[in-house]
Amino acid sequence: MPGRQLEAGHPRPIRVLIAKAGLDGHDRGAVVVARALRDAGMEVIYTGRHQRPEDIIRAAMEEDADVVGVSSLSDSHRTVCPKMAAMLKENRMDDVLFIAGGFIPEEDFEFLKAAGVAEIFPPGTQLSDIVTYIRTHVRRW
Amino acid sequence: MGQAAEPLTHPANGREKLIERDEALRDAAQAWERRNQEAFRTETKEKFVTDEGVEIKRVYTPLDLMEKGFDYQGDLGFPGGYPYTRAITPTLYRSNLWRISQYSGYATPEECNDLWKAQVQSGLNTIYIAYDLPTQLGYDPDYPEAEGEVGRVGASLVSLRDWEIAFDGIDIEGVLVSQVINAPAAIGIALQLAYARKRGVPWTKLKGIAQNDILKEYIARGNYIFPPEPAIRLLVDSLSFCAENVPNYIPITVSAYHFSEQGADRVHEIAFALADAVTYLEAAKERGVDLDLILPQLMWLVSHEHCDFFSEIAKLRAMRKLWARITKERFQVKKPESMQCRLYSAQSGLSLTREQYINNIARTGISALAAALAGVQTIDLRTYDEHWGIPSKEAELTNVRIQQVVGYETGVTQTVDPLGGSYYVESLTLELEQRIAEELRRVDEMGGMLHAIEVGYPQNKNFDDACRFQRELEAGEMVKVGFNRFREKEDSRPVRVYRADPKVEGQRKKAVQEMRRSRDNARVERALANLKDLAVKPPSETGNLMPHLIEAVEAYTTIGEICTVLRGVWGEFKEPAVV
Repeated sequence: MPGRQLEAGHPRPIRVLIAKAGLDGHDRGAVVVARALRDAGMEVIYTGRHQRPEDIIRAAMEEDADVVGVSSLSDSHRTVCPKMAAMLKENRMDDVLFIAGGFIPEEDFEFLKAAGVAEIFPPGTQLSDIVTYIRTHVRRW
Repeated sequence: MGQAAEPLTHPANGREKLIERDEALRDAAQAWERRNQEAFRTETKEKFVTDEGVEIKRVYTPLDLMEKGFDYQGDLGFPGGYPYTRAITPTLYRSNLWRISQYSGYATPEECNDLWKAQVQSGLNTIYIAYDLPTQLGYDPDYPEAEGEVGRVGASLVSLRDWEIAFDGIDIEGVLVSQVINAPAAIGIALQLAYARKRGVPWTKLKGIAQNDILKEYIARGNYIFPPEPAIRLLVDSLSFCAENVPNYIPITVSAYHFSEQGADRVHEIAFALADAVTYLEAAKERGVDLDLILPQLMWLVSHEHCDFFSEIAKLRAMRKLWARITKERFQVKKPESMQCRLYSAQSGLSLTREQYINNIARTGISALAAALAGVQTIDLRTYDEHWGIPSKEAELTNVRIQQVVGYETGVTQTVDPLGGSYYVESLTLELEQRIAEELRRVDEMGGMLHAIEVGYPQNKNFDDACRFQRELEAGEMVKVGFNRFREKEDSRPVRVYRADPKVEGQRKKAVQEMRRSRDNARVERALANLKDLAVKPPSETGNLMPHLIEAVEAYTTIGEICTVLRGVWGEFKEPAVV
């Protein structure tokens, strides 16, 4: 339900799946974000590296994730993100909040949003901004 | 560390006189402290601390070195002599400037050829190949796993045909070609050797470098394929093959750099790299390889940045000393070259900013100075537009010029180890040496690096450091000009950065498929079947795999085809959970 806060005595914490899609192995950003979300009281599952979009969506389903966050540093976001968004739709998981972070040039934001990515967090983002964004935009939880 | 404070003695002085002198110094220091209490209160911080928690004192004097038991001969020695703290050669840059290197690679062999020709023209004497991810993970451009990744972060070069195009017209005997390739490094080396043979460059004369450091892929960089055992088998094969056949080639670059990029502070950066190298040496010893044969061809990739400038220099001096001790005392090697730490130092991109990007040129210049003062053998810099995308050709060339400014204009090259003897730098060097040695001991006590990786120890340590970095950055405790201080409302952005054309993927697919049609496929099949047979057997039965890999690539077998066969036999590495 929109607008509900973690502090409002919800039965369970927000569940977030953080994923590395594609071949890129640099996961410092993904791990730092995952730890920050966990420190903020969320339940965080990290997929590890080299995941295919279908692996990530399956994990999101199995883990009953409210949020899926994908990290891309290798310019593969233009391929990976639309695929994941389509799979979420196919699996009737439209209500999962789908966000992306990493090395994503601004000129791609519009394309990614049109494809179904709710928000993009480029380099320079403060961790607290991601926490706040998730709390205010999570739909499922 | 040295045993005694003796060396501060002048031979003519009696011991009593010396003690008297030290006492006098101690008194003077205390008097200075008492006199200046008011001035001390104007200091901007209560404590000045480096990244790894070393507290920096207000001022350093001979007393600090005495307390640490500093001993000139034992701790420093002379340039080119054990323990190589000051430099690995007697004359360093007085004889030859460091090698100027620039990490680069564009999507196609044709684009690489244009870029590298321009770089060689500008005075660069090293080509440092950045490969795309599919190549680094053993997938050809037309494999499904490669979709969306071909040529995005570097060059797609998977066969001897690609090398023929990429290096056409480039003097591969005069220029040193360095490959950043790890999991399929043995195949990368095979390609380089096959190409040299084709160009008529004798292996005995061929210079070149491969990264070939798989453990840091498991820990940090993530471009692993095979599990540790077969991966280290390939590594040992490539080391002993090159030792016997390609004497001027560097078949391994043990990397500390990527730990730093993963978050590691200086202690973790160096300690984990040393622990990786120890693992490799133990594996080679077990296979009966003479370490004095392979060690002279081992190089290190370390990081340097402009932040904590003097600690960066101390870090590399401490590392040289520690490696000399490890090789001599633990592995009992005999040759001096086996004990020398040859350093390839790359600037950390992390120290640059996206905001007010042109300021990065200042950071880059200062970092190059740090590397020069640390006495490294090769310097490689990140470009001012790095945070905006794959660097432009202009930015790449600017970096060559920055190195030339530091190398030819500043004069820091005129004496070896200009900071040697600085109370401050020597104190930092001793402090870091001690902390790195302790961390190394911890990994040893855990049962070595392979076990430490399995339980996620180095991964977690580096990520802990990364989280602290992020916290300090966001709290403004760590200043980044243009990012968290001195911001501007409107940020300028680079005119252009390189971005791979998405059409490249289709072109590369087509090129590889055409190549496959034009080669002798029966020969390729034979080579692959042979590799499969060998891979199932233990190394004691097969001997070195390198000649077979060379045979395969000479038949125009691709990196993807070879890795597919080896994946089938050896399987893939499964990483431990780290969050």
